[in-house]
Amino acid sequence: MKLVITLLLGFCFGSLLIATQAYSWFRIQEMFHFDSFHMYGVLFSAIITASICLILIKKFKIKTISGQNVVLNPKKLEWKANIIGGILFGIGWGLTGACSAPLYILVGMHYKIGISLFLGAMTGVLLFGLVNKKLPK
Amino acid sequence: MYNVLPWYIAGPLIGLIVPLLLLLTENQFGISSSYRFIGSKFFKKIDYFNYKSGTDKWQFQFAIGVVLAGIFSLYAGVIQVDAVVDNSTKYSEIANTIYSSSNILYFFIGGIFVGFGSRYANGCTAGHCIMGISPFSLSSFVATICFFIGGLFASYVLIPLLF
Repeated sequence: MKLVITLLLGFCFGSLLIATQAYSWFRIQEMFHFDSFHMYGVLFSAIITASICLILIKKFKIKTISGQNVVLNPKKLEWKANIIGGILFGIGWGLTGACSAPLYILVGMHYKIGISLFLGAMTGVLLFGLVNKKLPK
Repeated sequence: MYNVLPWYIAGPLIGLIVPLLLLLTENQFGISSSYRFIGSKFFKKIDYFNYKSGTDKWQFQFAIGVVLAGIFSLYAGVIQVDAVVDNSTKYSEIANTIYSSSNILYFFIGGIFVGFGSRYANGCTAGHCIMGISPFSLSSFVATICFFIGGLFASYVLIPLLF
C-alpha cells in the first residue's frame, strides 16, 4: 500500500513539475536571469503551503495514517558541506536546467539526455562516496 | 502559445506533497537520496554506500513515480520537450537546441555536479528548498542560497563561455 502511495505521489509530483515546465532548461535559465517570476512563484508558494501544513499538523497534533506522531528530522547544519556542496549542485542545476526531480523526468521524457544526466549524477555520487571522508564538513 | 500550469496552482499543489508524504507514508520529502540507494546496489564495497539503505528505498520508488510521469506526458503528447517560452532572450537560441544529441557529454558532466553536489550538501531543491525551509531549518537556508550562487555562476559565466 505504502508503495502504491509513494509511486502515486511521485507521479503527481512529476506531472506537476511537467505541467508547470519546471523541468525545462529554458525555465531555469529564465529564473537565474530574473526574467520571469514563474519559477520563483512555484518555489515560494510550494514552501509557504508546506510550511502552513506543517504548522497545522503540529498545532492540531495530526497523526500519521498509522497513528504515529509526526516527527521531523531537520537536516544537520554542516556549514562547509552545505556551502560547497550547494554551490556545486547549483552549478549543475544551472548548466543542465535539471535538479534531481527534473533529472528523473527527463529520463522518462527524453531518454538520451535523461540517461546521460542520470549516469552523470551516478558518477558524481560515486565520486562523492570515494572522497567523502576527506571533504570538509 | 504553450500551455503552462500557472505557478499559483502548481506551487501550492507541489507544497501539498510534503504533508501527504508525511501523513500517508511517514517520510520526509526528498529525492536525491535515491542516488545513494541506487549506489548501494552497485558499490557496496565503498563505505558510503554500505549503509542501511532501507530508509532510502522509498525515495527510489518516489523517483520511479517521477520517471513514469515523464513517460506518461511523452505518450499523452501533452508537452513540448523543449518548451521555449520566449524567443527574445539571449539564451533562447541555446535553449532551442539544448536537448540535441550533440550535448550528451555536456549533460553528463552537468549531471556529475548535480549528483556530487546534492549528496555533499545533503539535499537538493526538494529536500532543502522545499522540505527544509518549510520548518525553517538553517542548513536548508544556507544550502538554498548556495544553490542560487552556483546557478547564477553557471548561467552568467559558464554558459556564455561554453556556447
